[in-house]
Amino acid sequence: MQRLLLRRLGLALLLIVAASALIFAIIAAAPGNVAALIAERAAGAGADGAMIARIEQELGLNDPLPIRYLTWLSHAAVGDYGVSLRTGKPIAEEFAARIPVTATLLGFGGVIAFLLSLAMGLAGAASNGGVVDRVLHAVALIGASTPNFFVAALLVIAFAVTLGWLPSFGASGPASWILPAVTIALFPASVLSRVVRVNLQEAMARPFATTGFAKGLTRGSVLLREALPNIAVPFLTTFGAQFTLMTIGAIVVETVFALRGVGSFFIDAIRFRDFIGMQATLLLFVVFFVTANFLVDLICLLVDPRLRRGRN
Amino acid sequence: MLRKFSGLPWTAIAPVLIFIFLAVFGSWIVPYDPGAQDYSALLQGPSSVHWLGTDYLGRDLFSRLVTGARVSLVAMAIVLSTALLIGVVIGSFAGYVGGVVEQVMISIIDIILALPSLVIALALIGIMGTGYWSMIAALTFAWWANYARMSRAVVATELQQPYIEAARVMGASHLWIYVRHILPHVLSLVVVYASADAGALVLSIATLSFLGLGVQPPMPEWGQMLVDGMSYIEEYPLLVILPGLALTLVVVSFNLLGEAFALNKVPRPIARRLWRRRRAERAAEEVARDKSEGRA
Repeated sequence: MQRLLLRRLGLALLLIVAASALIFAIIAAAPGNVAALIAERAAGAGADGAMIARIEQELGLNDPLPIRYLTWLSHAAVGDYGVSLRTGKPIAEEFAARIPVTATLLGFGGVIAFLLSLAMGLAGAASNGGVVDRVLHAVALIGASTPNFFVAALLVIAFAVTLGWLPSFGASGPASWILPAVTIALFPASVLSRVVRVNLQEAMARPFATTGFAKGLTRGSVLLREALPNIAVPFLTTFGAQFTLMTIGAIVVETVFALRGVGSFFIDAIRFRDFIGMQATLLLFVVFFVTANFLVDLICLLVDPRLRRGRN
Repeated sequence: MLRKFSGLPWTAIAPVLIFIFLAVFGSWIVPYDPGAQDYSALLQGPSSVHWLGTDYLGRDLFSRLVTGARVSLVAMAIVLSTALLIGVVIGSFAGYVGGVVEQVMISIIDIILALPSLVIALALIGIMGTGYWSMIAALTFAWWANYARMSRAVVATELQQPYIEAARVMGASHLWIYVRHILPHVLSLVVVYASADAGALVLSIATLSFLGLGVQPPMPEWGQMLVDGMSYIEEYPLLVILPGLALTLVVVSFNLLGEAFALNKVPRPIARRLWRRRRAERAAEEVARDKSEGRA
């Protein structure tokens, strides 16, 4: 068990190093000179060769690529991500202000997706081919096909413009989180509800379910007590994948609802060609993806003893 | 390959065909030039003159929506076919050559696949700048790895088949073996998966355009039409709802197709072979165990 955990942890760290190297290589290959960009932003058209050379020297841009990568990574590891080309402020400051916003959004959205998908999947399995099952299947198909910016627009039209119940932008009080969180939760909830539904159906055909019926349990209690614990691993694995995919939802939703989170920082960095800001945000994303997947693996190992035995 | 499509219910194929029909012939059907501005008819509701009304520049919404189908389809087709080509070539090469080359390529592919494809595409657009072709290039780069991984797996499986060895003994060249014997297997699997991916790609193109990082303004694209309409969301919600609805319908129809493929359990010959190989391996293991226990 311990050896397995160490191995997983090692793989996760290796993936972070490898993916960050890929990001660094892509950004380093960018056309255009970062030093020239900085000089241009600082001095306008008056930027001359000497100034560019000085900035290159300061940022260590003349060092060989592997050295630059290691310098960047070791600085990032202690929380120094450099200075944003767009705002001129340290990126660490931006992150400190913005990570709570995105974390709230993802946390809130994750809880909604988790509960909604379980409810939809269970209701579908309980109905088992009936009207409810078929309607929920259609809802899940549409939910997994609707672009999240359209979901956001529809929610704004319904709840902000027509009914006037909820604010359509900004982060002012708990009510302003409802529309953004529901928006990013709809897609993962739809995908996950199908995973729950399909896996429940398979579990209900297994011998332990038959035993449950033979003991005189109702369909509902067989579903909840026998089948549901058995789908934990596929559900949690897909939930982890969908949860990380919610960052894309967050990028879009933060733009639509004018939330100042990491996603909107990333989009601003792309629009402004702020390479240093992009690099830092991508590293943050990679760490988040790898950590989330590692945690899901860990939870699966804790939940399902068969996995622990199988791989040791 | 076409046989894979023929077993599907028409309800799964028809919506996609309608979309393709509109994309190809739409510009002859529409009553107005999608870019023609009419300042005497700004922000009108649906009428007999403008079937779905006009936008803030007096452009006919119906004409723009139908022309938008072509923009989406063309962009999607370019990305999908290029990514497919690159993925199949790189994946096949890795699978055929094997050894260290294969291991290195698999690791690179796995690293790319560890990141969501839209995040990769966004990063590349940030480097290359915004524009139509930079969006195409970014999405292609974000998409090929999936097909490369699939192709490699198929090639590696097929290479183990006895008929490959037979061909080699008969003096067939590597190129001949690959093109004649292995490539058809690769394509029959990858093309089917790619056609189910089309919906996700249409969605990505629309999302990038919505963020202002994809298809640029004069071209009518649904995501970009929607973001344009957001400023008028209170007075003229149709400007937002119609492009969104068009987009959703197209993605739903591609996802229906994908679901039909999944139910059909498409790549049957390969699944059967994998199964056969697993059975052979298990038999070999049993023999080995018997031997080690001194029973044989």
